[in-house]
Amino acid sequence: MTLIDALFGAFALPFMARALLVMLVLAVVAGVVGVLVNLRGLEFISDGLTHAVFPGLAIGLALGGTAGLVPGATVAALAAAVVLTWLDRAGITSDAAIAIVLTAMFSVGVIVVSRGDDYASELEALLFGRVLTIPPESVVPLILVCLVAVVAVAVTMKQQVFRAFDRSGSRAVGDSALALDLTLNAAVALVVVAAASTVGTLLVLALLIVPGAAARLMTERLWWLFPVAAGFAALMAWLGLAVGFAGSVAGGVDLPAGSTIVAVFVVGYGVVLLGRWIADRRRGSAVRAGGLETRPTPAGAPRPAETGAPRPARAGER
Amino acid sequence: MSMSDTPVLRLTGAAFTHPGGGGVTGLDLTVEAGTAIALIGPNGAGKSTLLKGVLGLVPLTAGTMTLGPTETSGADAAAGASTTAHARDGMIGFLPQSSELDPDFPISLEQVVMQGRYRRLGFLRWPGRDDRAAVRRALDTVGLTALAKRRFGELSGGQRQRGLLARALASEPRLLLLDEPFNGLDQTNRDALVDTLRTLKQRGVAVVVSTHDLELAKEVCDFVALVNGTQLAFGPVDEVLTLGNVQECFDGVEVEIDEHTLVVPGHEGH
Repeated sequence: MTLIDALFGAFALPFMARALLVMLVLAVVAGVVGVLVNLRGLEFISDGLTHAVFPGLAIGLALGGTAGLVPGATVAALAAAVVLTWLDRAGITSDAAIAIVLTAMFSVGVIVVSRGDDYASELEALLFGRVLTIPPESVVPLILVCLVAVVAVAVTMKQQVFRAFDRSGSRAVGDSALALDLTLNAAVALVVVAAASTVGTLLVLALLIVPGAAARLMTERLWWLFPVAAGFAALMAWLGLAVGFAGSVAGGVDLPAGSTIVAVFVVGYGVVLLGRWIADRRRGSAVRAGGLETRPTPAGAPRPAETGAPRPARAGER
Repeated sequence: MSMSDTPVLRLTGAAFTHPGGGGVTGLDLTVEAGTAIALIGPNGAGKSTLLKGVLGLVPLTAGTMTLGPTETSGADAAAGASTTAHARDGMIGFLPQSSELDPDFPISLEQVVMQGRYRRLGFLRWPGRDDRAAVRRALDTVGLTALAKRRFGELSGGQRQRGLLARALASEPRLLLLDEPFNGLDQTNRDALVDTLRTLKQRGVAVVVSTHDLELAKEVCDFVALVNGTQLAFGPVDEVLTLGNVQECFDGVEVEIDEHTLVVPGHEGH
């Protein structure tokens, strides 16, 4: 198999084309939503949502078969988004409290799944996804879920960034913290839903967290973060599917598709991290060599680190 | 800037009370366009509560508040009415006391200032020519035009403070509320802020500034309200800022006065 075959030819197969379509849409949406997760520091709540979705998937599967997965997960995720938003507002940010609630929900999911006939394989599919065996009838619901998430975030984008940057400032101009938090948490929940049925509930977090973190390393320009994260995620999803296919078909190594995609995301992050480190070192040595400093400190201006000090020596200035 | 005869802000027998208790009462004051009033009082006197009350973040629990043409009474507030609509219209600009902002946040100064336009833009519209012009004017007013593209976290504390003031100005407010804006500023930034406030008054903006700094009150403000849990005095600077009044206001908190190097009239050059 040539490289071209792995990167392009593989996707002529209908199941690979379906996987690519869903993964690309999901990656772009997860990238955009993930930047806000990164800016708001919502990683823990996102982790919570991935656990909370599990019983929804299990109950949906038990009630409606694979067609019940997306509706079941959506209901569970949106309910969890509301509960987590409420916990946050009520000031219950104790990791223990949230962890207890979420592991309880996870166990409910396992119990529901264990009632079925094919316990082991169902559990595996829910935990690790079934990206290569997405049923054709699930493609449209999955894409719709992604679109709702991205529209919710796009409509409130400016206000979300404002709130991420300055909570009290956002409140002071009259933006509703509750409405913004509910919208963002619901969007995260919907991404988790779509991702749970592709890469699985345990690996979803990588899709939400890695692209945003990688984008933060690649650019400091606010509005570039979103396309950069989306582009990074889409590229990694494509490469991940191709690597999994090449490994399984040509290499004879049976690579689980979802896990391979996540591994490629993490490797991609590593490459970006390395690139950033090298760039920083170069800039650092250029500064030491004299002269090429890109951001000179205005003479006499206090550096940001010093500014926390309250009213230094005012009496002496009078 | 419209220069109507009605005051921009009038409080009559007003009280603002936090839902959990605590607040400030007995507020009777008027702010006209193009004038500035100083709120003076010790820490915990309710100065921030008053400003947040005007913004609609702390409920009005007694008396009335008139913002432009709109009157709210304590009874309305009890019934759930909110005054944040004024902030929404961009009528009020607010500079908070301290902002715990992440210095690593990837946002430039001009993007922070643009946030002042978001309320006008609403959810779907993105900034246009008018908004960019308003941001340029606001940056020019605070004297930070040269740093517009700089990442906000790289600015000095004083520059950040002026940047946040520019954000408050970008909404082109008729009323500007500043909460302890001079805390932690060096002389250069303090002078820049004083100049900016004078410019704004000339343009007809009404200014309410809470401060420990009596010098500052004299430099830029026309009226003073002395507050310590309740309003003790309100009137022109020269009449209200008497030694007796100030001592009464700060009674029992001399330590605070020292800590903030408060200059009591007649005792300058300490």
